[in-house]
Amino acid sequence: MSKITNALRQPIALAALGGLVLILILPLFVQSYWLHVLITAYFYAILASSWALLAGYGGQFSFAHMAFMAIGAYVGGLVAIHLNVPLIASILIGTLAAGLAGLIIGALTLRFKATYLALFTIAFSEILRITIRAEAQITRGDRGLKLTPLFPDSISRVPDYYVLAGLLILCLAFMYWLIQSRVGLFLRAIREDEVAAAARGVDVVRYKVLVFVLTSMIAGIAGAVFANYVTIITPNIMVLPQMGLVIAMAIIGGVESLIAAAIGAILIQISLELLREFGAWRMVIFGALLIVTLRFASSGLLTTIFNRIFKLGPKAELRKGTDGGATDDGT
Amino acid sequence: MDYFISLTITGVVMGFIFALMALGLTLIFSILNVINFAHGEFYMLGGYAIFLLLEAFSGVPPILMVPVAGILVAILGIVFEIAFLRPMHEDKIERPAEYAVLITFGLSFFLLNLALALWGPYPHSPPPFIEGSVKFGPIFISADRLVASGMSLLLLALLLLIINKTWLGKALRAVSQDKQAAAVVGINSEVMNTIAFALGVGLAAVSGALLASTFSVTPDVGAVPAVRSYIIIVLGGMGSIPGSIVGAIIIGLVESYGAGYFPDPSRALNYKMAYGLVIFALVLLVRPQGLFGRKEL
Repeated sequence: MSKITNALRQPIALAALGGLVLILILPLFVQSYWLHVLITAYFYAILASSWALLAGYGGQFSFAHMAFMAIGAYVGGLVAIHLNVPLIASILIGTLAAGLAGLIIGALTLRFKATYLALFTIAFSEILRITIRAEAQITRGDRGLKLTPLFPDSISRVPDYYVLAGLLILCLAFMYWLIQSRVGLFLRAIREDEVAAAARGVDVVRYKVLVFVLTSMIAGIAGAVFANYVTIITPNIMVLPQMGLVIAMAIIGGVESLIAAAIGAILIQISLELLREFGAWRMVIFGALLIVTLRFASSGLLTTIFNRIFKLGPKAELRKGTDGGATDDGT
Repeated sequence: MDYFISLTITGVVMGFIFALMALGLTLIFSILNVINFAHGEFYMLGGYAIFLLLEAFSGVPPILMVPVAGILVAILGIVFEIAFLRPMHEDKIERPAEYAVLITFGLSFFLLNLALALWGPYPHSPPPFIEGSVKFGPIFISADRLVASGMSLLLLALLLLIINKTWLGKALRAVSQDKQAAAVVGINSEVMNTIAFALGVGLAAVSGALLASTFSVTPDVGAVPAVRSYIIIVLGGMGSIPGSIVGAIIIGLVESYGAGYFPDPSRALNYKMAYGLVIFALVLLVRPQGLFGRKEL
């Protein structure tokens, strides 16, 4: 375990520190329009990194991450509108609702092979979307549910920026704490060899469900906060191509590192903005990149490039060594 | 009672069409041990293929273009299988089970966005096979859908014949049961993988082509049929051919009764899929190996 955490601490962690400072001072230089791009990028970074925790550390492939995000947003919005719950409480209720949905689905599917989670979550996600569209009297369907803004009195986007940036940093810190804890150790043990982990007394299903619930809640809180920032939520945010985009961000960034997945999300969201003139072809490019990354750079395109650049020192050698060790154990 | 019988007929008619697509998924799973998460996008490509073919050759009876659409998409499947799935069986990929989920989902993301970039989000409708509709009790079924169902039944029969009576079928079954034993008797399992994948996605494309005029084609048209196929194969038992046919007919009936007896007809169609999710959950709770499942989970 210490090998892996050490590897994580090396070049990527240095960049993270620089990134943290950059995140905090960016509003001084950036125009409102680009603030919006960054806020959206942080939203996707929370989703991509929490998906990476599930997939890259736990080996669980959920296609319902955007569905949990939407549950957080819709439940939060609905209790705020119909029950007059204050904003922060509504966000927390949305988060808990996402966690509850995660608990039910996790308890139902995580006893079986990983394929069943993937199959069930893809079905759940699509059917939830269809239901939200159909129940237009409650959810307002495709016209979208209007929500109260995070800061009703502020014209500037700077407060929203710091809320999303803070949420991203908080979520990353929480997830890093989680993977350094016993839970993280068990999670990796389960991924490498589930039967062996169970034989050593790890309650496999309980830990899988726990992590599934926690990542569902992270997706839920991201959804609830972001929906109140954009002040509208429609079922289109949870179509499968959106889920695909989050997965592409995590994989291209590097699914075995939370920071790499988050950076992947931020860079891809910014590129999407810069490449606007390519229209629908942008997603085709990222789709192709996703497939190529999976086939030829399974630890992530950005991670691979990053390691190439910084391979000079002995640290990169160390990382290579641990990578090799991990795969030997895995097969 | 009349109404019930009509709903039953509609359900079975749709069930045959569902079976074709689900059987493709089963075929791929039982040979390659891969769930094809891009199955819906191959269905979608089948729809676009028949639309474009009929635009290019407008005099030809539409039904003749169904197999052509299937073959064109199957060729695409062969290319993908050799480039991205074969390395998995050559031990070039760490964690092949995880890779299989992600690479097929990645393909789905890529193809869906490619269709969006090439043809836009607007629906494309090829001309119907035949006009008109047939009355079953109080319910009308479009003649087009009956043709699609009949074709599906024909193809299902043909496929079962191939699987059970030919050398190819025997080889495929051998690989699905035991790769090493199959290799000992001279069956090249890599070739069988490619054939099974091509056949499987070809079936999805044929379903897409058969239903293209009924539902019109959009880039995301494959999502619902794909989700339905996933539910069917879990219900029938993963990898079981009779299971996917029986499962498809059950889902066809459930959707038909569910929509027919739903109190609010304006929302009934939207909830058809929700019954499938309930069935999925029940199967996991009560009989996780499915109706005809044999493998351990």
